[in-house]
Amino acid sequence: MTTADPGGALGTPKADFLASVRESLGRADGPPTQRYHRLTETANDLEQRASEVRQRLERDRPALLDKMAEMAAKGGWNVHRAPGIEDAIGHIQGLARQLGVTRVVRSGQEVFEQLPVDAALANQGLSVTPVVRDENNTREALREEIRQADLGLTGTDYALAETGSLVILPRRGLSRLVSLYPPVHIAVVRPEEVLESLDDLFLMRRLEYHQRSGEMGSYLNFITGPSRTADIEMTIVEGVHGPKQVHLVLLG
Amino acid sequence: MPEIKTSEFVSASAEAMENPQLRRALNRVGSGFDVARRSAIEEVSWEAWDRWRDEAREIKVHTLDNLDYYLEMLHDNVEAAGGQVHFAKDAAEANAIVGHLAKSRGVKIATKSKSMVSEELGLNPVLESLGVDVYETDLGEYIIQLAGESPSHLVAPALHKSKEDVAELFRDKLGLPYNDDIDVMAAEARVALREKFLEADLGISGANFVVAETGTLVITTNEGNGRLCTSAPRMHIGITGMEKVIPSMQDLAIFLRLLPRSATGQRITSYVSMITGPRRNDDEDGPEEFHLVLVDNGRSRMLKDPALREALYCIRCAACLNICPVYGRVGGHAYGWVYPGPIGAVVTPMLVGLKQSKELPQASSLCGACREVCPVKINIPRMLLELRHRTAESEDSEERAVPMSESLVARAYTQLMSSPALLGISTNIGRTLQAVNRLVPFSPIARDGGWIKRVPFPPLSRWTKARDLPALPPRSFREIWRSELSKNPSGEPRDDR
Repeated sequence: MTTADPGGALGTPKADFLASVRESLGRADGPPTQRYHRLTETANDLEQRASEVRQRLERDRPALLDKMAEMAAKGGWNVHRAPGIEDAIGHIQGLARQLGVTRVVRSGQEVFEQLPVDAALANQGLSVTPVVRDENNTREALREEIRQADLGLTGTDYALAETGSLVILPRRGLSRLVSLYPPVHIAVVRPEEVLESLDDLFLMRRLEYHQRSGEMGSYLNFITGPSRTADIEMTIVEGVHGPKQVHLVLLG
Repeated sequence: MPEIKTSEFVSASAEAMENPQLRRALNRVGSGFDVARRSAIEEVSWEAWDRWRDEAREIKVHTLDNLDYYLEMLHDNVEAAGGQVHFAKDAAEANAIVGHLAKSRGVKIATKSKSMVSEELGLNPVLESLGVDVYETDLGEYIIQLAGESPSHLVAPALHKSKEDVAELFRDKLGLPYNDDIDVMAAEARVALREKFLEADLGISGANFVVAETGTLVITTNEGNGRLCTSAPRMHIGITGMEKVIPSMQDLAIFLRLLPRSATGQRITSYVSMITGPRRNDDEDGPEEFHLVLVDNGRSRMLKDPALREALYCIRCAACLNICPVYGRVGGHAYGWVYPGPIGAVVTPMLVGLKQSKELPQASSLCGACREVCPVKINIPRMLLELRHRTAESEDSEERAVPMSESLVARAYTQLMSSPALLGISTNIGRTLQAVNRLVPFSPIARDGGWIKRVPFPPLSRWTKARDLPALPPRSFREIWRSELSKNPSGEPRDDR
């Protein structure tokens, strides 16, 4: 039964398992008689809907940013609006000073190419480590940096006004632990990253999935406010395994 | 599988009701979760909520009706993303799969994110017997693991523990000085588990949903432990019941709205992690191996049974526990296995067998609140009645919950109520007996106004053990109707008690 491996399936062979499910259902092999509408959409259908969504987002941008700020605050973020790059850097520097931060790890998202925050923080005497692998910075070395950091700094791929969430996708120069392991997380959000709803997000992701011939990326991570628990007497405590303090710097 | 104590429901619930600490804990559930749920729904409007529930239910109906098709799609897409799918027909097979993976990869430390299915399988003792140190990392699960107990709620597993209990536990098991401040204890758990997340070789998670279209496993947590368990170790094993599959990623929009609002009244949990395969070459971190174990373990019995299939639509939000007057009195442990509350009273008999759990379908007043709060509109009361019907009529005497005396009484009662003459005569006999009893000093039949509190002989003693029996009134409605009401329909009947 469970002797084959590595690489192979253990347990009941797929064909047997599925045959037994079919037998329970009293159903013949094959697709559902009533095809599920969402799975019959083509990449073209998705693209058309996505372009409608993009137009709507473009049109509603100012109201959307206000909604994002409001819902993010409700979701537990400390929200800082930043009309320009200078304001954003000012907020980050101010927070780092106020929180007595000394070691920063930073994700390598695109936003930091516009936002020269490393130099600004280094000027304050902080050490800033971008999470990018090279000869000196192995996966293990980067993990050790994250372990010791007292601030994680990230951008985002999307932000959802519906729930006040950030959504982060994998890429080079980005560790999922940066926003999770250090006790403080600061995230920078650009206006064009804000979507209205969960529906918008999943439409965009599905479109990309089908355009990239079935590559979803290893993860899609939502973050909404601080880590919290109510497991002892239903009393809410923030910062149990993830960060206790989370700040969202909203550009635009 | 963990020990099954479902047959002790009656004695366990009697004991639970005597426990003042459990009372206080359950009162917090009643006043906390459901109030939060309602206000979260009001924010989006009850109309929208109802629409979402209908849509979610339709998705579940379609998926479960074609489950083999979506399991195959899921399988293919997980493997296309570089993951490995394993099918397990029962608990032993699932445990053997995880055990084999752990052993063959030389796993020493495993961190676990909350998973009810792994509770159902009894996975931890199996891994421990292979020399793996297993750490539950959800705070509630960590507490009950230290205490050597089982969860008493689907969402808040340690709610039966007081903060003093937890402080004593941390003192005894972690060697910390006694401190029952909740903030301090949460911080202590953070410290105790922090390095374990990074040291672990294996992360084990359950799944709230698995998406067939993309091969994606979805977990929702508030603490962040789920993401740590699935990001830091070199191997991730997700274990889930086969009914958790949904067709399209787009479907998540609805389910991610329904689940957190129903569970804790949140718009969304702090973390939602969607995982598709192991890390790719460009990723800076993440597991090298991703395995998904899809478990049957009795679910195909529910699938096969048209009257009970809808129990598989459950998304384990626990809203039905939080509203249930029975759960609210007896708590989760009285149900004797992993899944408590109204949905547990349906699922448990199907998974462990009706023979061992024939009392559970009785654990309901059939008030219907569970059905009203269910985010996928599962008709739990109908299924409880169906199971009661089976325990009353089963051919298999071991499945029958109703003693012969009770069926005889029920049959006699049917006869009596279908014959006006017989009813009249027996009412008169009953009244005479009542009058005589009133004259007997120190009668063992205790009365309080219109209620009989206790009858010491069967079959009525079985009734009065747990509830009062209405005494026969001096005049029946039929008599009042005949003598007065039919002549003067608007008149008040004379009160001659």
